[in-house]
Amino acid sequence: MSKRQLAMVMDLNKCIGCQTCTVACKTQWTNRNGREYMYWNNVETYPGAGYPKNWMELGGGFDAAGDLQPGIVPSIESDYGVPWDYNYEGLAKGEEFKPNIEPTWGPNWDEDEGAGNFPNDNYFFYIPRICNHCTNPGCLSACPRDAIFKREEDGVVLVDLDRCQGYRYCIAGCPYKKIYFNPKISKSEKCILCFPRIEKGLPPACAQQCVGRIRFVGFLDDEEGQVYKLVHKYKVALPLRADYGTQPNVYYVPPVEAPPKFDANGKVIEGSNRIPIEELEKLFGKEVHQAIKTIKAEKEKRKKTGESELMDILIAYQHQDMFRLDNGYYQEVAKQKNMKLAPVDHRYQAGKHTKISHFKAVH
Amino acid sequence: MKKFIATTLSIGVLSAGALLADTIVAKKVSASLDNIKCDSPVWEKAKAAEVILYPQTTIILNDKKANELNKDDKAKRAKVKALYNGKRIAFLIEWADGTKSVQKGYSSTSYADGFAVQFTNITDPNKLPYIGMGNEGREVVIHLQKAVDKFYEPNGNKDVSMQVNVHNTNNFAKDVEKFEKKVDSLANRDYEKVFVSQGFRSMTEIKGEKLKAKAGMKYKDGKWKGMVARATNDEYLDLNKPAIAVAFAVWDGDKLNRDGLKFLSSWEPVVLSKEGENFAKAVLQKVQGDVKNGEKIAKENCAACHNYGKEQNAPKFMAPNLSNIGGYSTAAYLRESIVDPSAVVVPGYNRNAHKNFEWYTVDDKGHRQSTMPPFSHLDKKSQDDLIAFLQTLKAEVEK
Repeated sequence: MSKRQLAMVMDLNKCIGCQTCTVACKTQWTNRNGREYMYWNNVETYPGAGYPKNWMELGGGFDAAGDLQPGIVPSIESDYGVPWDYNYEGLAKGEEFKPNIEPTWGPNWDEDEGAGNFPNDNYFFYIPRICNHCTNPGCLSACPRDAIFKREEDGVVLVDLDRCQGYRYCIAGCPYKKIYFNPKISKSEKCILCFPRIEKGLPPACAQQCVGRIRFVGFLDDEEGQVYKLVHKYKVALPLRADYGTQPNVYYVPPVEAPPKFDANGKVIEGSNRIPIEELEKLFGKEVHQAIKTIKAEKEKRKKTGESELMDILIAYQHQDMFRLDNGYYQEVAKQKNMKLAPVDHRYQAGKHTKISHFKAVH
Repeated sequence: MKKFIATTLSIGVLSAGALLADTIVAKKVSASLDNIKCDSPVWEKAKAAEVILYPQTTIILNDKKANELNKDDKAKRAKVKALYNGKRIAFLIEWADGTKSVQKGYSSTSYADGFAVQFTNITDPNKLPYIGMGNEGREVVIHLQKAVDKFYEPNGNKDVSMQVNVHNTNNFAKDVEKFEKKVDSLANRDYEKVFVSQGFRSMTEIKGEKLKAKAGMKYKDGKWKGMVARATNDEYLDLNKPAIAVAFAVWDGDKLNRDGLKFLSSWEPVVLSKEGENFAKAVLQKVQGDVKNGEKIAKENCAACHNYGKEQNAPKFMAPNLSNIGGYSTAAYLRESIVDPSAVVVPGYNRNAHKNFEWYTVDDKGHRQSTMPPFSHLDKKSQDDLIAFLQTLKAEVEK
């Protein structure tokens, strides 16, 4: 466990699935060098297969006894989707416009499909997903080379590319399938929570670019921070699939309001909600009932009295208030370690520049 | 030499006389071994010895599909030849593999065939390093060669501008092709690595040093030939000895083999000169004992924690699985592990993966203490019987 833990809260009531976060991440980190197929940040439609396809059924994580569970390494072609391209240049020569491969699957292949029958009870909502920077990471536990580490300073989970041998057990071990194999360098790579930005006091690109202002970023022990308030004070932000046992540090405010269902005659069924509570329970655990209750109560309170700290936070009047990153803290860490910022951890720096082995030769 | 005799005598009665049939004898040659390849004619001078490679089952890894594919693995036969010329030593290993697997393409599910040769400086047959990449205080050096089509190192060569997607550049038409050719030319096509290790979690690549090692592999007619040639003496190893111990491993990419999912040999003695023969006998020693009685002792003393063969009642992650222990351990290692389990502490699973079964504790000074109690109270005969039984625990050999 790290000394402090940086966390993110995403308010699913406000996510419009615009993928601006996805694009912010992709252009920053994954549009090159073997990462083309990776989406360190993706937004998927729920219910849906997600990304990679059916990730919830691919194993990994821990059972109740605390044992790492076996998992499956997804295939780029059939489970993630190969980024395909078109013959733009051939168009000038009169060729038929066509993709370079036969696309059979890709992220968001089933976008906005959802479940239910239109128009009576169909529904869906969006879930943006990044690496959960878990307190008990499945990827870290699966690595036979100690190549994955969790930073002391903020709990960010990183791959030491110098030690990584490309075995891919981490992918099997992560129940969220948020660590990826880079076939070009034959090593694993993952979301780094934009640590070079964070150390400078800037939020991760996905959070900064979010047009819906759904993302809060801050330290879980910072009682003044909005993250702390949503997670610990009001308990309305819940981890995704906590039953996997990895103690994820990305939290979600569950979707509270959905339109009512229609009956066979097209009439509104009063008091009904299109999003089945069982689905929310599956994703966020039993705590989801209390979280929804709290949000509804605070909404009422706000209506009646005009006051509610929780509603003010969720409305997100000021974008900058959503991020409490504490550049001073990182400055202090760097000073103590006699290091320059970015990165403040010795391990990542050592890995980056390692030329010789850990052991001195003895004979 | 005196040391060899003393130590071999201490571990049990040796059969006097000639070397066992399949002892690797390194052939001294005068030819240069600097540029030796898998199919160099000089290999014809060396005599091949058979080495059996057993499926690694001590630790079960967490890839569901791979575990399914490998659950009924049989042991593989390999032929090994060794040459040395005073400056360099070379090994050739040949094994059958019906499917040539090369890790290639834009794929997350392509795995490579490969092989490794493990070396140690230790010449006491009673104190060889743990077969799974050494242990604390008993270091090994591993040469690895894998069949990888091409790969790019992530850092170092200051060619970042060539690592971007071509669509992020200003290239058009012919320039796109040029760019892609240039990128291709930057690829590394020889996945050859050298590691130093004190237990399989600690394995660390030796980089940026001139180890003067060369490995290669070649596939022909359903068989791989792999070759490693290295200096007999460098910063890490001094192999100028009458005999040395080496171990071999091969990976079958078609069965999603990588890392611990592999086939490995026990420590194999390599005799370089006549004085090394006793060392060879000690390493290959089979303990004579009452196997039936040994099985009974194992059931009473070991099966509560260890799974092996038909005994599968211990909690799954409690202790190393012994199903192939007879295949890849020496008699001396088995005896040491019984009477002094903390002498070699298997680094175990990632301790975070199975927190209830940590296999060892660590004291204030960082010393590992095995959670297995010593069984030094077993008398000599019982120990021999038990070891004789443990030596029978191994997978059937592929025809």
